[in-house]
Amino acid sequence: MTYVITEPCIDVKDTGCIDVCPMDCIHGTDNDRMLYIDPEDCIDCAACVPACPANAIFADSEVPEQWRQYAQINADYFRDKK
Amino acid sequence: MLKSKQASPRSYRIAGPQRRIDERETPHPRVDRGELGEKLRKWRKSRMDVDPFRRVFGGGGNEEDSYNSLYDIYRNLPEGRVNPVKTPVADPERMARNIKEIARFFGADVVGITHLDQAYVYSHRARGNAAAGEKPGDPIDLPHRYAICLGFESDYEKFLTNNSRISDAEYGLGNINSLQPTFLLAAYIREMGYPARTHGYGRFEVNPIPLAVNAGLGELGRHGMLIHEEYGSRLHLSVVTTDLPLAVDKPVDIGVEDVCKYCMKCARTCPSHSIPFGGKEIHNGVERYRINVDTCYKARLGSRGEWGNCVICVSSCCYNKPKAWWHTLAVKAIQWTPIPLRPLLIRPLLVIDDLFWGKRPWKHMKWLDYDNAPRKMVCTIPGCNVKHVNLQHKKLHTA
Repeated sequence: MTYVITEPCIDVKDTGCIDVCPMDCIHGTDNDRMLYIDPEDCIDCAACVPACPANAIFADSEVPEQWRQYAQINADYFRDKK
Repeated sequence: MLKSKQASPRSYRIAGPQRRIDERETPHPRVDRGELGEKLRKWRKSRMDVDPFRRVFGGGGNEEDSYNSLYDIYRNLPEGRVNPVKTPVADPERMARNIKEIARFFGADVVGITHLDQAYVYSHRARGNAAAGEKPGDPIDLPHRYAICLGFESDYEKFLTNNSRISDAEYGLGNINSLQPTFLLAAYIREMGYPARTHGYGRFEVNPIPLAVNAGLGELGRHGMLIHEEYGSRLHLSVVTTDLPLAVDKPVDIGVEDVCKYCMKCARTCPSHSIPFGGKEIHNGVERYRINVDTCYKARLGSRGEWGNCVICVSSCCYNKPKAWWHTLAVKAIQWTPIPLRPLLIRPLLVIDDLFWGKRPWKHMKWLDYDNAPRKMVCTIPGCNVKHVNLQHKKLHTA
């Protein structure tokens, strides 16, 4: 299991999640419109969930139907970066 | 005013039948089997080569030389025979007093005695003592009547360097310090002619925490550990089970049940958000605060090889203080206050605690060649420019 950042993060990028993540597994660049969780490093602690003001973060098994594709989008972001 | 000795513990409640836990379900064996992920399994097996302290204190890896790890040596020591000449015990209360004095003489800092509740005896062993012919998966039959619970203090200052090699070394030493007195006490009882078994670091057949609570060593905290009135949670526990006739102690009320409702310091500071902010839950017939052991364990992967045992919850607990009259006074004041009035005292004490010891207690220390000063975070993802910060600068959890 992992946590997934979804559409409400787009153009918000509050970064409150980064301030609490114990694994530092949330990443992004200035050019990205949202932040991404590295599924390989996420330990499923859910610390980021209450820290997100946009309610954009869900456990991968609980992502709302309309944002299901974001699990893959998060994973793909790190594909060529490691 | 209330009696500090209680008929039953306040900090947990038996709500239904309890299933005996299989030791193989506990975190270390699960990690060894890779049930918490291959990454964590590899970390546990390979971290021994990082630091000499980790190698001498052992603790799970299999790459160190076992003869350099006292833990490995003790874990596999055979236990001696019971002396056929039995020393008669006319007065179990006097014997209990003597056993406590002997345990302290051997090196224990705190001692308590309780009946051995079979609910806290593991059903099957995860590792076992090879010298005694035990194998992983063997059913455990421990018919002893009493559990002598021993506590060994760790250094307050070194634990305050939490998430460092320094606190890690202190944690490892605490485990090792508990081995010899526990072995000696069990051997002493066997030489008196009564069966006795050691349960200590790396070789437990019982869960020491509920037994220690029942034995009056302290209360069960929100973070799932024993809280002692003087040492907080920086106690390493071990147990000797025996049939030696002994008078048992009663659980104590030192105010933990009330303080944990309001404090939340461990929940706010736990890096992996593993300690609940909410109320107690019923799990396996016991009502208590339930921590997330999986995320607690997995957070070790975030240590970047710096440490193996986080201990933030131990050092942040408001009961974790150096030995001082003002700490004793604060705990006694809570203890002596009637339960309904305790929040009136606890709330201001918690404000004082945050004020003097900080919302995230931590200490910079240089020791040997170790220095736990926060290091600049370097992100390994190319192009990432979000502001990762080290643990001491992360935001506290609020829920």
